Amino acid sequence: MALSINANNNEKAGAWEFKLVGEIDLSNAHYFKQQMEAALTEKCQNISVDLANLNYIDSTGLGVIISVYGTIKKDGHCIKLLNPRDNVKKLLSISGLDKILC
Amino acid sequence: MSDLMKMSVPGKPEYVATVRMAAASVASHAGFDIEAIEDIKVAVSEACNNTVVHAGEANLEEYNVEFVREEEGLTITVSDAGPGYDTDSYEEPNISELNSGGLGIFIIRALMDEVDITSGPGLGTNIRMTKYLAKDIA
Repeated sequence: MALSINANNNEKAGAWEFKLVGEIDLSNAHYFKQQMEAALTEKCQNISVDLANLNYIDSTGLGVIISVYGTIKKDGHCIKLLNPRDNVKKLLSISGLDKILC
Repeated sequence: MSDLMKMSVPGKPEYVATVRMAAASVASHAGFDIEAIEDIKVAVSEACNNTVVHAGEANLEEYNVEFVREEEGLTITVSDAGPGYDTDSYEEPNISELNSGGLGIFIIRALMDEVDITSGPGLGTNIRMTKYLAKDIA
C-alpha cells in the first residue's frame, strides 16, 4: 500500500498537523522525510502526527521521526504521535519513542 | 514434517513489501495470531531492509528469503552475498540520544523468539529468525 501524507498548518495551535495513511517503509521513508522537512522549512514549529490510519511503519520511518525530532528539539519544539494502532504502538514501545513523543 | 518456500528478491526497496506480504501469508497459514503475524512481518522486513541498504551499497542484484514452516513454528532466513560486516561492531540504538542506528536489528531481536546473525567481511550476511507457535496452556 502506498503512503499518503496530509500536512496542515494549524496557526491557532502553532503546530504542523500531519495525517499519515498507508504504510511507511524503506521505499517511501525518504518521501515522508521530504514532506516534514519542507513544512519545517516553511515554518519551524511543533508537530503532531496522526497515526490512526497508518497500518505499518518500520525502522526507517521511525528513523525519520527521530531525525526530525532531533532537528526541532534544538529550537525548543516537539513532536506528538497520536492514535497509533496496536502494531505501531508496539514498535514505538520497543524503540523507546513512546517515552519521548507520545 | 516441514514445508520450505524460497524467494529470490531483487535488491531494491520496492520489493520489501512483497516479501512482507508473503511472510504474512505464510505466518497466517501456519496458525499464528494477528499480533504474531505483525511481529513476523516487521522482523522479515527489517532483515530485508538490512540487506537492501547494506548489501545494496555493493550493487547487490538479488538476495534470498527462505521460509521453513514446521509444527512448532516458522523460521525465516534472509541471506545475501553482499560485503558483510563485523557483527561485533553492532551497537544497540540509544533513542534518548536520538541515535536510530542499529534499530532494525534491535527490533528483530525484540519480536522474534530466536535470532541468529552470521556475517563477516566478504562472507555475506545471513539473518535467521524463528517464531514459535504459542502453546495452549492447560
